[in-house]
Amino acid sequence: MSALGSTGYDIATGTFEDAKAMIGHTTPVRFGEVPVNVAMVRHFAAMVRDANAGFWDEEFATEQWGGIIAPPAMLMTWVMPLEWKPGSDLPVPLLTARVPLPGTTFVNASNDTEFFEPIRVGDILNISEELVDVSPEKRTAIGTGHFVTTSSTFRRQDGTLVARMTNVLFRFVEAPVEETPAEEPDQ
Amino acid sequence: MIDGVDYAQRYIEDVRAGEELARVEDEITYRRVIMNPATTWDYFPGHHDPEYARAQGQPTIYVNTMHFLGFIDRLIAEWAGPRSFLARRKISLHQSIYAGDTMVGGGHVVGTRREERAGRVRHLVDVEMTLGNQRGERCASVLATVALPSRTAADRDPLW
Repeated sequence: MSALGSTGYDIATGTFEDAKAMIGHTTPVRFGEVPVNVAMVRHFAAMVRDANAGFWDEEFATEQWGGIIAPPAMLMTWVMPLEWKPGSDLPVPLLTARVPLPGTTFVNASNDTEFFEPIRVGDILNISEELVDVSPEKRTAIGTGHFVTTSSTFRRQDGTLVARMTNVLFRFVEAPVEETPAEEPDQ
Repeated sequence: MIDGVDYAQRYIEDVRAGEELARVEDEITYRRVIMNPATTWDYFPGHHDPEYARAQGQPTIYVNTMHFLGFIDRLIAEWAGPRSFLARRKISLHQSIYAGDTMVGGGHVVGTRREERAGRVRHLVDVEMTLGNQRGERCASVLATVALPSRTAADRDPLW
C-alpha cells in the first residue's frame, strides 16, 4: 500500500458523475471546537513572524478592535475538527474531501476570501460549505484529476457574517512521470 | 508600547499607485513546516510526512495554504500598519514551497478606491503580490484589498 493510502482524511471515492450530482450540496452549520484564543493566535503569529500590534498588545488591540484579533489567515483554523474528542469517531473532514472522485490525493489551487468583521479573541466561528463546481478531468504536471470549487460562509456565535471564502482544490491521481506542463484552474 | 511590535501606521493620503511593498525573505525549515499542523490544526500529511509528500510527486513536505496566507497578511500589515483591515485577498497557488526553501514575498500598490456604503466612506487600496522561492520561481500570485484609515477623518471612517 502506498503512502497515499493514508491521508489521515476519509476521502470519498467515486466517478465524475457522482461528484457532479453533489453540486449544490450545502453542509449543515458546524461550530468550531474552541473559541478564538490568544495562545493559538500568538503561536501562528510566531510561525509567520508577524509583529502586528493587534496580536501582541492587548491595550492597543482593545482600543483599535475591541480585543486581541486573529490573523485573517487563521480563518479556517477556527473550524478545523479535532483529531479526537470524547464520544466521537473520526473527525468530519471538510466538504472538499467528501466529494466522490477518482483522485486519491489533493493540493490546493486557489483561495478567495472576503472579510466583513475582525475576528476577535472569544469569538466562536461556525462554517457552512457548499459544493459549487467540479471541473471535467484535466491533466497537469502532477497528475490527472478534477478541480473542486467550494464556497464557505463563516459566522460568529451571534450570527454576524464574518467571512466568505471560495476555494479551488485539485483532486488527483499522481502522474508517474512529469510530461505535461501544469495547467491553471479556469477562473 | 511593546518592544519590537509593529505600530507604524500608513494613512490613505500617504499611498501612491506603483508604490512597492518591502521584499521579505523567510527561511522555511522543517521545524517551521511542522508548525503548520501545530498552529492551524491542518493534519493533511503533505505538511508533516515526507514519505507521503514524495508519493504525491513532491520532493518533501511543503507549507500549507494558511502559511502562505499568513505570510501575505504579514507583508500587507507591515506595509499598511496595524490599524488597517484586510477586506479581501485572492491567491492562486502555482507551486509548493518546501522544507529547505526560502519563501520570498513582495508586491506593489495597484491603486486606491473610495467606497461609499450606507453613507459611510471606506478607503481601499488594491495590492498585487507575488510569492516565490530562492530559485526565483513564482509559487503564488495574490490580489488583496486593504482598508486604510484617513488622516482627516480617522475617527469616523469605518474599516469594515
